[in-house]
Amino acid sequence: MSLIALQATNPDINLTLIAPELIIGIAGVLVMMIDAFARRGQRWLTGGLSIVALIAAGGASIWLGAGWRGARSAFNGMIVLDDLRLSFTLIFVVVSILTILIAAAWIDIEKLPAGEFHALLLFATCGMMLMASAGDLVIVFLGLEILSIATYVMAGFRRTDVRSNESSLKYFILGSFASAFLLYGIALIYGATATATLPGTTNIATIAGRLNHSLYPPLLLAGAAMLLVGFGFKIATAPFHVWTPDVYEGAPTPVTAFMAAGPKAAGFASFMRVFVFGFPIATAAASTAGYTHKSWLGTLAIMAALTMSVGNIVAIVQNNVKRMLAYSSIAHAGYALVGFVAAGAATDAEQRSAALTSVAFYLLTYAVMNMGAFAIVTLIARGNDRRTAVEDYNGIGFLSPVLAFSLSLFLLSLLGMPLTAGFMGKVMVFTTAVRQGYLWLVVIGVLNTAVSAYYYLRLIIVMFFRERNTPWDAPRLPVSVALALVITIAGVFYLGLFPGRVLNAFGAHPSISLSIR
Amino acid sequence: MLLQATTTTAHNIGGPGTAYLPVMVFFVFAVAFPVMPLILGRFLRPWKYGKDKMRPYECGIDPETGAHDRFTVRYYIVAMLFLIFDVETIFLLPWAIIFMGKDFSFTLFALIEMLIFIGILVVGYYYAWRKGALEWA
Repeated sequence: MSLIALQATNPDINLTLIAPELIIGIAGVLVMMIDAFARRGQRWLTGGLSIVALIAAGGASIWLGAGWRGARSAFNGMIVLDDLRLSFTLIFVVVSILTILIAAAWIDIEKLPAGEFHALLLFATCGMMLMASAGDLVIVFLGLEILSIATYVMAGFRRTDVRSNESSLKYFILGSFASAFLLYGIALIYGATATATLPGTTNIATIAGRLNHSLYPPLLLAGAAMLLVGFGFKIATAPFHVWTPDVYEGAPTPVTAFMAAGPKAAGFASFMRVFVFGFPIATAAASTAGYTHKSWLGTLAIMAALTMSVGNIVAIVQNNVKRMLAYSSIAHAGYALVGFVAAGAATDAEQRSAALTSVAFYLLTYAVMNMGAFAIVTLIARGNDRRTAVEDYNGIGFLSPVLAFSLSLFLLSLLGMPLTAGFMGKVMVFTTAVRQGYLWLVVIGVLNTAVSAYYYLRLIIVMFFRERNTPWDAPRLPVSVALALVITIAGVFYLGLFPGRVLNAFGAHPSISLSIR
Repeated sequence: MLLQATTTTAHNIGGPGTAYLPVMVFFVFAVAFPVMPLILGRFLRPWKYGKDKMRPYECGIDPETGAHDRFTVRYYIVAMLFLIFDVETIFLLPWAIIFMGKDFSFTLFALIEMLIFIGILVVGYYYAWRKGALEWA
C-alpha cells in the first residue's frame, strides 16, 4: 500500500505537509539513540546529524514553498501551509543551526553531555515549527509544550550551577502559569463558540466565522484576553516580562541566545495567527467580532508602546551584559509588536500580508544579530559564565580585535544603524505601521531607538576607550563559533543591503485564513 | 456549513447561570460529601490515644526513623517512568476505538502509526535504561 493511498483515507492525513516537523522529530529520536549507544568523545556526531537534519527541514520547507499550489491545510485544519508558516520555519532553522554552532565550543569547555543538548534542541525546534504551522489552538498548545519543556531543561543544563538551576525553575514555574492562562483561554473560546446545534471549536479559521454567532460574547472576550496574557508571557511583552532578565541571565549563554531568538519568534508566529486570523478585522464595528477585534488591537498597541519603553529604559541601568541583552530582547519584541498591530489593523489581504512579512523579516534580522552578539558573549564569558559584567569588557577592543569589532557590528545592528540588518527590519516594521495610521506608535519606537543608543554604544565605548586594569587572556576562537560569526556577519550585511530577495520569498503568497475543507 | 446553522439565540439554551445549575449543585454535594462524615465522626467517635496509636503507619512494619528523612531521588524517576507508560495506555484507548473505522480503510495506517508511537516509547525506555535511570544501587 503506497503512501498516496494511505493519504486518501478519512482523517485527512498529508505527511508531506508536515515534512519539516517529521524530519526534525525523527532526527531528535535518532540523536537520542546515538547518544545512548555512542562512546564518549563522539560529540561531533550528534551535532553534525542535527545540523544535517535542520538543513533538510529547511530544504523541505523551501520545497513546500516552491511547489506552491495555494495555501492548504491538512489533518482537518490542524496544520496549515502558508507563507507565515514557511517564513517562520526558515527562521527557526537558522536559529537552531546557529545555536548548535555556538554551543559546540561551550559544550567542550563545560564537558556537558552533547547528545542530550542536541536532542533537546531538535525537540524544541520541532515544537516551534508546530507552533508556526498550527491551524488549531490545540496544535498551538501542543507545539508550545514541546518547545517549553525542552527549553526548561536546556535553561538548567549546567546542573551544578545554582544560577542555572534558578533560571530553569523560574522559567518552569512562570512558563507553566503562562501555559495555564493559554489553556484556560482556549477552553473559554471553545465554550464561547458553541452554538445550539454545534459543539465549540478550536480551529482558528472556524472561530473567526463564529464570532458573531457567539451565544455569550463576554466569554469570548475573556478567552481572548487569556490568550493575550498567555502569549504575552511567552514573547515577554511589557506587563508580563518580569521573568525574562532573571531567566536569561542564569541560563547558559548559548541557551539564552536560543531563547531570545527562537521561542520568541515561535510565540510571535502563533500569536499572530491566532489573533490576526482568529479574531480578524470585522466589517461591522458594532458586532461582536468588531468589538473583539477593537479590544485586542487597542490592548496590543498599548502593550507594544510599553514593551519598547520598559525594555530600553531599564536596559540603561544594567551592568551585566546578558541582562542588558535580555532587556534589549524585550525592547525588540516591542518593535516587532508594532508590525503585529499593523497586521491586525490592515483591512485588505495584501496589506495584512505585507505587515506579517515585515514582522517575520524583523524577527529574522533580530535572530541573526542576536545570535552573533551572544556568540561573542559566550566566548568572553568562558567556562561557568564567569565574565558577563560590563567591566569584563574594559579595553578589550585592541587586545581581541576580531571579537570586539564583530560585537560592535552586532550592537550597531541591534541599535538599527543604516546598512545593517537591524535598520532594514525597523524600516519595514515602521513603514507598515505608518501605512495603517499608527504614527504615534512609530514615534514612540523611534524615540526608543534613540534611548537604546545609550546602552549599545556604551558597551562599544567600554571595549575601545576604557583602560583595562585586570589581565586579559584572549579566548581562542573555535572553528564552529568562527563559522557562526561568518554566517551572522554575512547575514547582517546581506539583510541590511539586499533585503529584497528574502522579503519577496517571505511575502510571495499572501497568507489567508483557511477554512476546513 | 457551519455558519448557516448558528442562528439560534441565547434564550433557547438559557444563560450561563441556569445552564450551569447542575454543576453548582454537584459542587455543593462534592464539598458536603467528604466534609459531613468528618464533622459527624468528630462527635460520634471515642477519644482514646496511646503511644502506639500515634505512631506513623508504615505498611505494618515498625518505623525505624522519623518521617522527615531525606530519601533517594530514584523514587521520583521511577514515578516519572511509570507516568510515561501510563499515558501510553491512555493513548491506546481512543486509538482502539477508531482503529477499524467505518470500512477498514484506515486500519493499516492506524496500525503503523501506533507501532511507530510505541516504538518511540520503547526508544525512550531504552534511553532511560541505558543512561542508568533504572539502576538502584
